[in-house]
Amino acid sequence: MSLLVARGLTVSATLGEARVPVLRALNLSVAPGRVLGLVGESGAGKSMIGRAIAHLLPPGFAITSGTLRFDGRDLLRMPAARRRSLLGRDIAFVPQEPLTALNPVLTIATQMDEHFSHLGVTSRMERRKRAMAALEAVHLPEAEALLRRYPHQLSGGMCQRVLIAMAFASRPRLVVADEPTTALDVTVQARIVELMRELQQRDATAVLFITHDLRLAAQVCDDIAVLYAGSIVEQGPARRVFGLPAHPYTRCLQLAIPSMKGPRRALYALPEQMPGLRAIARMEGCRFAPRCPIAQSECFTAEPPLHGTEHAAACFFTDWISAIELPDTPRPPAHARSEAPLLEVSGLSKHFASGGLLRRSQTVAVRKADFIIAPGEFLAVVGESGSGKTTLGRLLMGLERPTFGRIVLAGREVTRGAGAARRHRVRTAQMVFQDSQSALNPRRRVGAIVTQAMEASWQHAPRDVRMQRARELLAEMGLAQELASHTPAQLSGGQRQRVNIARALCVVPKLLVADEIVSGLDVSVQAQLLNLLQRLRAELDFAMLFISHDLAVVRHLCDRVLVMYRGEIVEQGPTEAVFSAPQHEYTKALLAAVPAEL
Amino acid sequence: MILLATLGRRLLVAVPILLIVSALLFIALRVLPVDPAAMSMPPNATRAEIDLARRQMGLDRPLPEQYAIWLRQAVHGDFGRSIHLRRDALQLVGETLPATIELTVFAMLVAGALGLAGGLVLFSLRDRAAETVAETGTTLLMSVPEFLWALLFIFIFGVLLHALPFTGRLDAGLQQPRITGFLLLDALLVRRPEVFLNALMHLVLPAVALGLAFAPPIMRVLRSSLLDVYHEDYIRQARLRGISETRILLHHALKNAALPTLTLMGVQFGFLFGGSLLVEVIYSYPGMGNLMVDAVRNADLPVIQVVGLTYCVVVLLINSVVDGLYLVLNPRLRPR
Amino acid sequence: MPRWLHSGRAIAGLVLALAVLLAALLAPIVAPHDPNEQDLLNTLLPAAWQAGGTRAHWLGTDALGRDVLSRLLYGARVAITVALLAASGAMLLGSVLAIIAGYFGGWLDWLIGRAVDVWMSFPPVVLSLILMTGLGVGERNVILAIVLVDWTRFCRVLRSEVIVVARRDYVTAARLVGFSHWRAITREVLPATIPLLVTLLTLEMGIAVVVEAILSFVGLGVSSNQIAWGQMIADGRDAIYQAPWNLLAPVLAIFITVAAFNMLGDGLRRTLDVRMIEGRA
Repeated sequence: MSLLVARGLTVSATLGEARVPVLRALNLSVAPGRVLGLVGESGAGKSMIGRAIAHLLPPGFAITSGTLRFDGRDLLRMPAARRRSLLGRDIAFVPQEPLTALNPVLTIATQMDEHFSHLGVTSRMERRKRAMAALEAVHLPEAEALLRRYPHQLSGGMCQRVLIAMAFASRPRLVVADEPTTALDVTVQARIVELMRELQQRDATAVLFITHDLRLAAQVCDDIAVLYAGSIVEQGPARRVFGLPAHPYTRCLQLAIPSMKGPRRALYALPEQMPGLRAIARMEGCRFAPRCPIAQSECFTAEPPLHGTEHAAACFFTDWISAIELPDTPRPPAHARSEAPLLEVSGLSKHFASGGLLRRSQTVAVRKADFIIAPGEFLAVVGESGSGKTTLGRLLMGLERPTFGRIVLAGREVTRGAGAARRHRVRTAQMVFQDSQSALNPRRRVGAIVTQAMEASWQHAPRDVRMQRARELLAEMGLAQELASHTPAQLSGGQRQRVNIARALCVVPKLLVADEIVSGLDVSVQAQLLNLLQRLRAELDFAMLFISHDLAVVRHLCDRVLVMYRGEIVEQGPTEAVFSAPQHEYTKALLAAVPAEL
Repeated sequence: MILLATLGRRLLVAVPILLIVSALLFIALRVLPVDPAAMSMPPNATRAEIDLARRQMGLDRPLPEQYAIWLRQAVHGDFGRSIHLRRDALQLVGETLPATIELTVFAMLVAGALGLAGGLVLFSLRDRAAETVAETGTTLLMSVPEFLWALLFIFIFGVLLHALPFTGRLDAGLQQPRITGFLLLDALLVRRPEVFLNALMHLVLPAVALGLAFAPPIMRVLRSSLLDVYHEDYIRQARLRGISETRILLHHALKNAALPTLTLMGVQFGFLFGGSLLVEVIYSYPGMGNLMVDAVRNADLPVIQVVGLTYCVVVLLINSVVDGLYLVLNPRLRPR
Repeated sequence: MPRWLHSGRAIAGLVLALAVLLAALLAPIVAPHDPNEQDLLNTLLPAAWQAGGTRAHWLGTDALGRDVLSRLLYGARVAITVALLAASGAMLLGSVLAIIAGYFGGWLDWLIGRAVDVWMSFPPVVLSLILMTGLGVGERNVILAIVLVDWTRFCRVLRSEVIVVARRDYVTAARLVGFSHWRAITREVLPATIPLLVTLLTLEMGIAVVVEAILSFVGLGVSSNQIAWGQMIADGRDAIYQAPWNLLAPVLAIFITVAAFNMLGDGLRRTLDVRMIEGRA
């Protein structure tokens, strides 16, 4: 008997006058005591399910048809007070951003006290005891002192443990975890996931684990349901779904994720992206058909139903899945150039002073960094938050002034970035930012953005020359020419990131500094960008400092890697060597935290 | 504890500010087109007599020297004598400051109460048809400065309705007890309830006029702070834990929304305090504002100087208190 | 219709403000009498619809027999002039300093911040009175006094916005492709702050009208040969029993003008909301 059952559940959004479905006739069931992973990219509608269960849909969204039952009771028609007593007690939620999910002006004690009060514990002392017990269950040390603290005094991982403690405190029947580890560092992520598993097994709780990370879901969940364009396209036991996908979308996703083992191969990049809500509503056949490599004419006219018992897929041609393969393109050989290094960094340090007039303290963001980048080489910098990798990138670009050390770029010293040194750096090195939204001026048009370098006074070019260059750049990025007159708001995330890259490549620099440029992107978009970078590398022969926290991406793209921990480079060397035989403890911990591959 | 530390730190910073302020005042006033010496003499005074007065007032010395003299005397508590009223300037301030403080405190209470109530009402109307009407109403309310309210109230309640008094602090017939200078307090101390009530009645119109002018910004900020807070993750998370909407508003949202509102009220205080000047003039209320206006009309430099400085001191004091309060209420600013 | 007019409030405010502007511009043509013409036989006449009023003087006459309506229209000239010039001046001074402080940071920010702190420890009313004492009466001095007092308002609000914009990646990117500070400020930072600037400017115009009225009320405003609403109010207080419109007319005039600017500013704030343009909402 399933604990949570959705039948034909449709959630629609009101866009203008039209009503478009976000979740279409969804059939889902969560068995008691099992972990169901709901995997989907952004725009697939996975966050709507959690909201539908809690009946807290954002304005403009409504459940337009279908049923949702919890333990046999109708969740949708339940009176509000009844539902409120269910929430937090029988159905608990673990949020995505732990640091902002707790009230910043109340202590942990106050918030937990309120929670237990809601659960019906009347005695104050009893509430306190339960809170301490809950914190111990999530392995938080010094529970007494922690209760007195405020959320901003805790790390992200600790906050998430508190939230998990509150969620599991009432031994709920169902826990809905919506991307619970996305905002956390990789090592913390592994421990949180382990903790959730432990508590889930202790109480035989059912868990609905919503994530975009297929590999993580495969590791953590018992069953997986894959969501595409508002409906489930594949469902079944985790190992089967991931090991032997029955739907082309799942298969393509699998091939788009860079792997930590096996030969380094090109990634499968699905063309374009998931269609928007309006486009989905207009389509008639299988929603995946336009991007599907094995689509036939029937796929465009009739929507395939989800068929199969234990392992179900919504596709007419499941037998042809194995035809989707990657051509075995040999990797370009690693560069063994004997030229002078492009970038030489020696003893680079950055100290930040903080505190008021009287109590000044020092934070060392980067400590004595020494490394070299050869021309045309891709060097990765990996580390977690607080490792100093972003500061390192900023130091190289001249956005921070080094406290000690030297930076020599293409033979000229650029440590003090003024005047001629600055101009040299501008011509030789450029940066690609992570947040493509804030990196593009919303008031400028794309054509003007990509040629921005040609507006600076000392390399000013006339208008027609700039327009010509803009056309070239867009073509190189694989972007349609008409986008030149669009504003950034009219582009998708992947397109914006390409514009970002195009702007950096306008002056044809020899070095690109890329700070987490594929983080937070969908798997398919990420694969497109990584393939693009490989192609550009072959064509334009630039070197790159690739800052990232994602080890699989780093392995796929970069020749050498620097591992940073608390401002220091603890290990560096060729990527394969470092990843297969790590020397430093931290590197080992990092590698151990990556979700294992099946 | 933190409150005292902040207050102490702020007051320390206030000293150089006051020095600069007094210096600026000095400079601003010494470039007068009017001659204070001439103004202090009867109209038929001779040139020589005026010159003598100038020398006596020290107005013939160079500017920095005049300032140094003033500063030295000020540190000893001597702020000079009023040219016009021929009395010790500091004493004049001592007599009028309590009245102004009484008025300002009441006005601030009115503004705060109205602001809180109005803000909650505006917030409760969100996403409803009446919201636009309420917002336009707030804008119109904000377009009436305090001196217009003061005049309107005189017209409506004083002239048309004869309901409330609009001159001075007390009816002419009643004798004013003078202990602390705070009339309401003094009336209670001498156990004369009729004086207390009368003083209260006299305070109503000016305090409400002043408070009404400064309530709308508070309403606005409270509403927009609440709206911002309601978009935050922790509110949604509280709902997901099953907490009731009432509890969310009172225990989670208001505490967070109070912070920007408090900051605004601190800023508004300076404006309100200055606005009390006009209200005093219109209601012939014997406070520091009236003293200032008379001094300005008569070019009474010592009084302008000391009253200007007093306004500054009060504003700086209140700002320090607000800063300290903000620190107490906002745990994020406390050391980790 | 341009996007910035897409608010009922903005349109209403704009229409009213234009009406006041027209009244000011056309006063010499539209006013029924010479505003300074005294008629000592007909002093303190009430409004035309009250007992004892006449059609010749719609809003009555003042203590010297001068027509209230004409004086009201002429008073608009001072009000609008001061509003436009003083608000623009305060905006210029305040925004230049705000941009310098917000963009460059460091000791410049500290210095300007301290200057703003010192300035704002004075209640604006008190400061403007003191300045007018020092400067002397006259329209030009009133404008100067308002600029010198209210620039801090602009500076403080704009500085926060400038700081947010200047930290955006696209400003950093502009510097990285070789833009000079000047170009980065004028091409990237300034355009992002224009919506806020326009809103603040409109609201400041309302504030300027009020300050001018206060100064004239106290007798330290424009010189006595000009007509100002504040002066009319001061005179009208004594006539509150016989000819109440001496007082009520300028009070309403001030209210309508300030309300017009406030509604316009309010409407603009909604339509030009930076958050909506940058897609943050």
